Amino acid sequence: MQNWLKGAAIALVSIGGTIAVSQMLRSPVEGRAPDVNALRTADGKPDLNGIWQAVGSANWNLLDHQARSGPVLELGAVLAVPAGLSVVEGNEIPYQPWAAAKQKENYENWLSRDPEVKCYLPGIPRATYMPHPFQILQTASNDILMSYEYASANRVIKMGKTEPPPVDTWMGQSAGHWEGDTLVVDVTGLNDQTWFDRAGNFHSEALHVVERFTPMSPDVLDYQATIEDPKVFTRSWKIQMPLYRRQEKRAQLLEFKCVEFVEELMYGDLRKKTGKEPKFSAARLRWP
Amino acid sequence: MKTLTPLVVAMAVAAFAAVAAQQQSSKGWTQPRTPDGQPDLQGIWTNYTSTPFEVPDEGDRPDFYAGDVDGTGRGTGPSSFLTDTSDRKLAKARSLVVDPPSGRVPIMPWAEEARNYRLTHIQDDWVNFTPWERCITRGVPGGIFPAGYGSGYQILQGAGYVAIVYEMIHEARMIPIDGRPHLGSSFRLWNGDSRGRWEGNTLVVDITGYNDKGTVATNVATQRVRAIPQSEQLHAVERFTRVDENTIDYEVTIEDPKVFTSSWKVAMPLHREPDYQLFEYACHEGNRAVPNTLSAGRAKDREARAASSR
Repeated sequence: MQNWLKGAAIALVSIGGTIAVSQMLRSPVEGRAPDVNALRTADGKPDLNGIWQAVGSANWNLLDHQARSGPVLELGAVLAVPAGLSVVEGNEIPYQPWAAAKQKENYENWLSRDPEVKCYLPGIPRATYMPHPFQILQTASNDILMSYEYASANRVIKMGKTEPPPVDTWMGQSAGHWEGDTLVVDVTGLNDQTWFDRAGNFHSEALHVVERFTPMSPDVLDYQATIEDPKVFTRSWKIQMPLYRRQEKRAQLLEFKCVEFVEELMYGDLRKKTGKEPKFSAARLRWP
Repeated sequence: MKTLTPLVVAMAVAAFAAVAAQQQSSKGWTQPRTPDGQPDLQGIWTNYTSTPFEVPDEGDRPDFYAGDVDGTGRGTGPSSFLTDTSDRKLAKARSLVVDPPSGRVPIMPWAEEARNYRLTHIQDDWVNFTPWERCITRGVPGGIFPAGYGSGYQILQGAGYVAIVYEMIHEARMIPIDGRPHLGSSFRLWNGDSRGRWEGNTLVVDITGYNDKGTVATNVATQRVRAIPQSEQLHAVERFTRVDENTIDYEVTIEDPKVFTSSWKVAMPLHREPDYQLFEYACHEGNRAVPNTLSAGRAKDREARAASSR
């Protein structure tokens, strides 16, 4: 096939795909089709290489949420909760009744229950919209690496056929394939220990996530994740948000090895007291 | 050009021979390359070996280094635990430390004392554990020293980067090879700041910018060197050279003028094992070692107080 013809065919398939998708939910970025001129790798796939970050406050709450005070009185406006629009299609997470009650309880006990407070691995999809950058590395060997600054979490996405996961894990097992210009990642083998956000939204080990990364321009990816978990939800549901390329010339992942920041919280009462340890005043906590 | 001068022909032959020598080992193996022409190191590699880290010495206290500080079998365990029991040994080396020729790391006495303090005070404070037991990191280069388990490494190469995914502790080391400078002295990192470049078929990685909270080696198999502190002056240079289909020769030169009297070097192979599966090493999420050890220490304190008040 001649190149112009191939390009036109790809464009048509992409546009067709976009129309189909936009009939199901709002179009990825209002009025814009995926950009067929987005960067490409040598083998013609969209070039997703780079350092990306979600902007917004989905990690605070996937649903519509107003600004509110944070959990520590002394911190005032610092670490108060920013407002944010829902990233969930329809602004509703379809919990089964018992699970809706548990989510409420999780929210009320956020500080003692959220795995992020303890620097635990974030799981998928939460890793994507943590308030830290992550790096995508596409390789000639076909595997795609996603490396997250938060807690040194990472995953290697195996392209093509994979065996079922041998055991449930925090980050699960990711199998990828391309659908046109979209990287589709099927994530299974997730355990029941991770949350979706700081608002207590949770799942069981029956969680199955299908993610879609679609370049909208060289610097913007549309991220969608379909979430199903028949033990917790009445139907599958979907989140969607843009991911932005970090533009700084020197952009690179730095260390956020947060274990060090939670040792005092987790083990402080077990430390031998010498009188030289840092003093902590009793914080006045208020949550919810 | 009508005729080739003998000199031109000779130069061409010499150049061809040099390239061929670089790309082909004596067994006829050809260095595979990525589409953009880099030597291809990609794949899953393991570092099993039961060759000792250092040449053993009569004065060594293997169980003490392993954390069994009072001979009771407590601590991390006797040295026979958590070391490699595979039958793979390096044919031509007494130890993984190849320089100095003695096979002994030139550790300053104060640093050995600092290690001894750490090992005998893990019940007091988590900072006395190595960063591995704290589930922070096994370090760079320490994370690639054989540990006996969790020994998988996946190397991936793509635009401007070589990445090494460490099974233990779930780290993806992103090594830029685009010539960018080091971050600079405002950054003090557990794993330092890696910058890579190709020298022929060898990936050379220069690492600086360490913090002084880590230890140069963390695992029991590194024996006397385990829990030796690192200073901000630590500087490591790693060399990865694929020498045949299934082997990368790995070397690292380590210098830290505050800790070692001279630089020293480790050399060992990485074995290609395409069927090896890296598992998630969710370390911190299941860390009972640190709280249980501290808790045992506080129980001892209570016993001692009760005994003295009787």
